[in-house]
Order: sequence, then structure tokens, then C-alpha cells
Amino acid sequence: MTGNHTIPGDDQHGMDCDRCREAMSAALDGESDAAEQARVDAHLDGCAACRAWRRDAETVTRRARTGVAEPGPDLVALVLDAAPGPRARWRGTAARAGLAVVGAVQAVLGLTSLLGASMQHDAMADSIVVLGAGMAHATHESAAWNLALGVAFLAGALWTRHLAGLLPALGAFIAVLAVLSGIDLLAGRVEPARVVSHVVLVVGFVLGIAVVRAAPRSGPAPTPGGRWWARGEGPVAPHGAPAPDAARWERESDVA
Amino acid sequence: MDDARITELALRARDGHRDAAGEFVAATQQQVWRLLVHLADAAVAEELAQETYERALGSLRRYRGEAPARNWLLSIARRVAADHLRRRARRPVSPAEPAEDDRPVGRAPRPDPAESVAVRDALDALDGDRREAFVLTQVVGLSYEEAAAVCGCPIGTIRSRVARARADLVDALSEPPAAERPPRSG
Ligand SMILES: [Zn+2]
Repeated sequence: MTGNHTIPGDDQHGMDCDRCREAMSAALDGESDAAEQARVDAHLDGCAACRAWRRDAETVTRRARTGVAEPGPDLVALVLDAAPGPRARWRGTAARAGLAVVGAVQAVLGLTSLLGASMQHDAMADSIVVLGAGMAHATHESAAWNLALGVAFLAGALWTRHLAGLLPALGAFIAVLAVLSGIDLLAGRVEPARVVSHVVLVVGFVLGIAVVRAAPRSGPAPTPGGRWWARGEGPVAPHGAPAPDAARWERESDVA
Repeated sequence: MDDARITELALRARDGHRDAAGEFVAATQQQVWRLLVHLADAAVAEELAQETYERALGSLRRYRGEAPARNWLLSIARRVAADHLRRRARRPVSPAEPAEDDRPVGRAPRPDPAESVAVRDALDALDGDRREAFVLTQVVGLSYEEAAAVCGCPIGTIRSRVARARADLVDALSEPPAAERPPRSG
């Protein structure tokens, strides 16, 4: 830090050493005007320290501009390879929209069967108890699971980063369900309409894979909940217009 | 290449022209690279530059061309660097980070190693805001107005930060040259 260089009689030139140096710095970058230059010259006439500083500042500027001019790597091919083409981007958007629709349908199905189960609850005699759960409770469980999957699809369409984690569990569920549905259909234990409702799950699964594939790879591993909004930037614009987080970068000491 | 041309390339890239995207990268990558070298460090600059372009191309859809594309891109690069530093601060003992002394060894060839190391060290020692203003205007070559747009601060702030950075560098680099450092044996 250079500190204050106050020289007696300085005020008559309307410029102290700090302001003179700031003006000289701006002049080195072509960002000063003639009126300011006149005041700088007036100050320099009486201030040897600032005359020396100007020489040093010129040297330092030249060294900084040339001394660090190392060439960077050529990234064109890498960047273009990683960038999704417009087609892939369109597919990604379409898949997300589809996933959101499927999520809504699935959630409604889950909700419907949940309500249906509650209404039938009184009518149904809980005569069959399997592994500690009566029919009513087993129906509740299945309805809750279906509702949860709908919510998971909707959330996955919104926050695609977390979708990948859902897919293995969902894939296993669909595989087991497919086998059991086939057996139950043959044995006449289930109505075909009920099995058809499972197709929604399969569609959601396929769309989920499409969304995950279309999503741009981003650097760090996902940190659930922590990446965007914990920083107060809001989830909407992590990049884009430059303004919103500028205030945090300013320091009072640097704002003249 | 001038700003109007770069902005035009960005808009064409947004509309799906891959060759324009390539030209856009080619025209801006040196500045992005330099900014990231100084705001983060050379060891991760390439990775961060890729992340910058990934974010930029990913959000091109929302780019309307109001601000010059180069400023828009550099402000993304600046945010990528800030995110990187924040991540690194959160994991202070990450074994993957090379020690400070290992950094320059074996990296890209430099015109004059001793000189550029001295300048780099002096720049690295600057206060973050001052370094940012200085690098944007001197190394990347932006005007004060452009640097202010990239940082989202008033021009006067850039002006005073650049001057303070210069003063700090005068103090650091006008010392007797660092040649008397004991040569490393080993
Ligand atoms: Zn003076």
C-alpha cells in the first residue's frame, strides 16, 4: 500500500498524490481526459514522488501486459464435442416436458387410488392379512408409492440433476412389476386396465433416461440442495445477465 | 475481432450454427483463458474454460444480444472462477490440489520464465477485486467500461481498483529483482 502522500501546498493544485496517481493510472489506459491531464501535470510539477511513480507504473504495466502472455490451449474441438446440438437440446426440452406430463398423470393415478382405497376401506372386510398388513393397508402403501413416483417425475423434470439417482430404483421396480403383472394377468388376478396404468411408469422411465442423456454434463458432482440456492443466486439464473450478484464483489475500501 | 462480430457469432450459434459456435470459441478463448488463469489458477484454467463455454452455450437460448457477447461470456467466466474458489474453500484439504510450489513446473512454455513468474506472483498477491480489475483491463484488454459491465460495478470502481492494483504492483515489482532467491537444488 502506498498510503497518503500529502505534500504541503498540495491543495492549490486541486489534486493530492492518491488522486493524481489514479488519474495517471487511467491515463496509461487511455481513460483520462484533457482537463484531468492538466491537473495531473500541475501536480507533477511540484511532486517528484509522483513523477517517479509514473515511471514505475509505466514499467510495471508493460511487464504485466507482456510478461504473462502465455498462449492458452485450443478448446474449439473440445467445446463443440461437449455441446449439445440444437437437435439434442430440443429433444432434451421435449423429454422434460413429457416427463412433467407423465409425472402429473402418475400423481393423479396415485391420488385416485389413494382416495378410492380410503372410500372402500369401510366396505372391505380385512379378512386377508399378509406380512402384518391388511388389504387396506397394502392398498394404501401401493397408492402412496404411485403418488410418490408421480412427484419424483415432476421433480425430475424440474431439477434434472437429481433425476439420474432415481432411475436404477425405478428400473428395478418396473422389471419386477412387469414379471408379476404378467403372472397375475395369466392367473386372472388383475384387471387388464390396472396393468395398462403401469405403462405410465414405463413411459416415465424412458423419458427420464432421455432427459438425463440430454442434460449437459456440468463440472462438479451434484450436491443436492446446495448448488444454487444456498448461495442466494436463486435457482433460475446461475448464468446469464451479469448484474445480480455484483454487490457481493464490491468492497467499501475500493469504492472511492 | 470486434465486439459486433463476436456478438453476431454468438447469435448465430444460438440459432444452431455449429460453425459459428466454433468461431465464437476461437475468437474468445484466449481472453477467457487469461482471465481464468488469473482469477483461479493455471492448473485448472483449461477445465474452467471448458465449464465456461459449457454454461455459455447451454444458456445461449436466453441470450438476446443486448450486451456484447464477449462481456456476457467473460462475466460467466468470472462466475465460474468464483464458483471454483468457493468449492475449493469448502474443501480446504483436497489432496487433488497441487501445492503452490508445484504449480509452474512442466506447464505451458513461457516466453521468459523468471519474468513471468515474478509478474504472476505479484498479480496473485493482489487483493481479489483489484486483481480482477487489473487483469480485465491490462491482460484481457477490456476498456474500463467493458470491465465495469463484466463485473457489474461502476466505472469509477474499476478505475480506482486498477490504480490501486498498479500501486501495489509498483511496490512489489520495483523491489530489487527476485533473482537473489536461493536457487532450488534438487
Ligand atoms: Zn504527488
